[in-house]
Amino acid sequence: MTRTNSSRHHRLAGPATIAAAVLALTACGGGSGFDDPTPGATADPTTTEEPTSGEDPGLTGEISVLIGSSGDAETDAVSAAVAAWSEQTGVPAEVNVASDLNQQLSQGFAAGDPPDLFYVSTDNLAGWASNGSLLAYGDQLTNVDDFQPSLRENFTYDDQLFCAPKDFSTLALVINTDAWADAGLGDDDVPTTWDELAAVAATLTTDGQVGLSFGPEYQRIGVFMAQAGGGLVSEDGTTAVADSAENVQALEFVQQLMSDGVVAYPSQIGAGWGGEAFGSGAAAMTIEGNWIIGALRNDFPDTSYQVVELPAGPAGQGTLQFTNCWGIAADSDSQDAARDLVEFLTSTEQQIEFATAFGVMPSVQSAADAFAEQFPEQAAFIASAQFAGGMPTAQGAVDVIADFNAQLEALASSSAQDILGSVQTNLQAALDAQG
Amino acid sequence: MTAPARTTSTATRRPRRSGVRSGEAASGWLFITPVIVLLGLFLVLPVVMAAWVSLSDWTGRGSPFSDDVSFVGGQNYSDLLFGGGLATQDFGTALRNNAWYVVLVVPIQTALSLFLAVMVNRKVLRGSSFFRTAFYFPSVTSSVAITVLFLFLFSATGAVNKTLSALSVNGPNWFADPRGVVHLGLGAVGVDQAPSALAGSGFLGISAWQWLAGPSVAMCVLILMAVFTTSGTFMLLFLAALQHISDEVDEAALMDGTSNWQRFRYVTLPMLRPTLFTVMTLGLIGTWQVFDQIYTGTQGGPAKTTVTPAYLSYTASFQSQQWGRGAAIAFILFAIIVVMTILQRQAIRGRGGDAT
Amino acid sequence: MTATPIHEPAAEPAPVDDDTSSSQPRRPQTWRSRLRGGRAGTSALVYAVLLVLAIMYIYPFLIQVATSFKTDPEAVSNPLALVPQVWSTAAYERLFLRSDFPIWFRNSVVVTLCVTAGRVFFCSLAGYALARLRFPGRGFVFAALVAVMAVPGVVLLIPRFLVVKQLGIYDTFAGMIIPLLADAAGVFIMKNYFESIPRSVEEAARIDGASTFRIYRSVVLPMARPALITLVILSFQGSWNELAHFIVSAESAELVTLTKGVAQLASGQLGQGSQFPLKLAAAVIMTIPVAVLFFVFQRRIMNSTAGAVKE
Repeated sequence: MTRTNSSRHHRLAGPATIAAAVLALTACGGGSGFDDPTPGATADPTTTEEPTSGEDPGLTGEISVLIGSSGDAETDAVSAAVAAWSEQTGVPAEVNVASDLNQQLSQGFAAGDPPDLFYVSTDNLAGWASNGSLLAYGDQLTNVDDFQPSLRENFTYDDQLFCAPKDFSTLALVINTDAWADAGLGDDDVPTTWDELAAVAATLTTDGQVGLSFGPEYQRIGVFMAQAGGGLVSEDGTTAVADSAENVQALEFVQQLMSDGVVAYPSQIGAGWGGEAFGSGAAAMTIEGNWIIGALRNDFPDTSYQVVELPAGPAGQGTLQFTNCWGIAADSDSQDAARDLVEFLTSTEQQIEFATAFGVMPSVQSAADAFAEQFPEQAAFIASAQFAGGMPTAQGAVDVIADFNAQLEALASSSAQDILGSVQTNLQAALDAQG
Repeated sequence: MTAPARTTSTATRRPRRSGVRSGEAASGWLFITPVIVLLGLFLVLPVVMAAWVSLSDWTGRGSPFSDDVSFVGGQNYSDLLFGGGLATQDFGTALRNNAWYVVLVVPIQTALSLFLAVMVNRKVLRGSSFFRTAFYFPSVTSSVAITVLFLFLFSATGAVNKTLSALSVNGPNWFADPRGVVHLGLGAVGVDQAPSALAGSGFLGISAWQWLAGPSVAMCVLILMAVFTTSGTFMLLFLAALQHISDEVDEAALMDGTSNWQRFRYVTLPMLRPTLFTVMTLGLIGTWQVFDQIYTGTQGGPAKTTVTPAYLSYTASFQSQQWGRGAAIAFILFAIIVVMTILQRQAIRGRGGDAT
Repeated sequence: MTATPIHEPAAEPAPVDDDTSSSQPRRPQTWRSRLRGGRAGTSALVYAVLLVLAIMYIYPFLIQVATSFKTDPEAVSNPLALVPQVWSTAAYERLFLRSDFPIWFRNSVVVTLCVTAGRVFFCSLAGYALARLRFPGRGFVFAALVAVMAVPGVVLLIPRFLVVKQLGIYDTFAGMIIPLLADAAGVFIMKNYFESIPRSVEEAARIDGASTFRIYRSVVLPMARPALITLVILSFQGSWNELAHFIVSAESAELVTLTKGVAQLASGQLGQGSQFPLKLAAAVIMTIPVAVLFFVFQRRIMNSTAGAVKE
């Protein structure tokens, strides 16, 4: 009984202490929570204001990097690069892969404790730049002029370059050369028009294999809309043009392919995404971007493929281009070190290394030639950049596109006009709201 | 009610001295304080904070109580309920999905658990404890584990489709099928498109035709999952109640020459009324809050047919950074649950009138 | 089978043995057996139905365990088989050696143990205070507890994140554990049980001059073992299976618990592809502790579930 006596006394002390501690924390937490730090003003007073570059031994801090990886290839490549920089500069850095990048970043921003460096897509730039979560450091980079102009454009908000584009990809048509040969097709049969695409897909559709597969999202189906001469937002970015006749034509073309049974979504053939459908042989062709190269090499090394430019539609060739940038948090304590890391990661040599590892295209012009030389199999991706269009960057557009994607999942049984009509309404509302 | 110092105590009651009394009061407060602090901090304070956030334009950075954040009144609520834009449509879709879920899960799980309880209650049944264990086991497991299991069982090439194909039925691609069940049924009798009366814009930005779409095939899997995991718990509630029904009542009914079914309907069922009420209330409260399964399994897809208000509240806040809207959705959901519970209480009390 | 629910210490009404003496035309045994459907035909039917249902309830879990030992292709091609053609522990290897699964497991264990211990301690204290001690404001506290129990969990998801962030315990074990200690239902369970303990024992102790805490600790608490065990079981189960709170209260990889980790797995994080054996292996391991707890305490769990919810 005496043993329980003392343990009970201790246990009584325990909760009392906890209660007191919690109350104290409330006071402290409340205090620090009330003075809201203005964004950008969290500069560490010990570091200088000029941008540091190269291997500056005076860099301090600790960097946490959060990435949304497309697979092991990308994770390993980024981790290796960051580790190399870390050794060089002596600043500890750690790479984490996000299971849901947006959610984790949102949570981090809201908690005032975000990672220092992370991927930012064109979708999120407007939202996070406008609420002060991002540091606008782009103009302070030493290699700022090396970036492709169109990519710089994508990440400029309020006339400031918020972040450095890390790479870009375009969408192209990936063909399974074995299935191609089995179906008796040759080099001349590479489709250059919509009709040819439909014909080739039909030829390639067999019992266990569907001719063409791509994800049920604007980020894939949008290529058809571009090829028909349509798009989502007007040139000047103020008007939504989603319900144009060209877009309807594009969606109806896709519907026709689906009803003919030559096109299926990956989920319908037991795959998680187009690359998996292609690699596992469930689909003979897919529409994907550069990242498929690394994924195929890692997960489906036995599938032989060829990348060709997407066929032209009624209005010529068109495709989509995607890019992400390295965002630095305004709340970060190690901004200078983070900037230095970004310069390292976007340097010519490093970008070629990433290109080798998981097949993205470098965002700097100085690496373009080396890339084209080294990766002839990705020639189609680079060539497609000529006629590629980007995703809408207006704030709120990402939600509209998410809704569009939700409706596209049911494209086979819906009316293209209705879908596009609702997208038009929502998109115009979003464009109007951002004024 | 607890008048401390005025008891007309007899010798056998506790001898109340003020020393002991104040000691008891002090102990009482000491004992209850941790729980009060915890509940206050983590139940009351959050609700208050959320109420403030839902009435403000906080964007997610810094404290919600800082000077940058201003009061915007009911704007978040009106955006959701009357705005007509994407926010309203998403909310309407979420409500529709959850409403169908509730309408299907609550009756099915109540009926199934009652059925199981009645079956297992027969006292000559040997191994009834085995059956009780079997039916209750799914309720013990985590919703995440069960969702992962069902993702496998109902995948396009999964166990369920294999079983169905053995019966020459082509199972759908369960989790990827956004077609509403009612629409499917109507399509089978030839009604493929929305009749013009129902096609226009209806309630909360969703047309009446879409409201009537029924749960999607993917949602049906979630419904099955809910019934699978909760029928065991409710079966136990019914079992306990059934065992309390005195045998005399049953014997009396038997002597009157009633059939089994009549006895069940007119004698047993009314005596189960309080338990029925409990089960249905718990069912209502639980089904309107479904979140874990969506987060783990479908993330709202396919085609937003498994988005529920709870999940929408989460994504609006944590993914779209619309914290005010997310909080507003949570409070509207709270109101819905309270109203439903009250309505249901009236409904059960009204039928028969005996206050239990 | 008719074990007493916690808060009803009164004995069951006496069984119908009294009727043996009344002038019934038939013997009571026959009545009773009629009552319970003793005829052979119905019995067999009942058994059959129950058996089919029980199989439908158990088979998925058997498939789950079996699939975790299959290879990826076999899981897809042969989902119904209970015995793998080729036994493969690749899923478990990947889980334990090449993923953060052990960290998830450790975190879940830490959180669950702390929450269970904390809840047992705080709820029993508060339950005793409400049941036995008289202090000003007791009625108000009781009413407040009832009101608080009515708040649905979903409303608390975001606000708890805000509070945890404001208190500065975001992304820490404290932030994951402390909010879960708030449990009004547990207080009720303890309060109901304490009320059923006869006061005479406490009075005797009080007359001997024991302090309130002494009475609570040495006299009443040991008598409340059944309720305490119930509370332990419910707390264990509740915190082991909790998901939403762990999503919002932490973000770093070292604080991921089993539920959150497996949920992330299910949305395809450890690489592309379906990888069912891996996911199911994770689900199996996650289920084992609660399953063990269940089988050890089944009778108590099932009785208390029935009894504790009666209001």
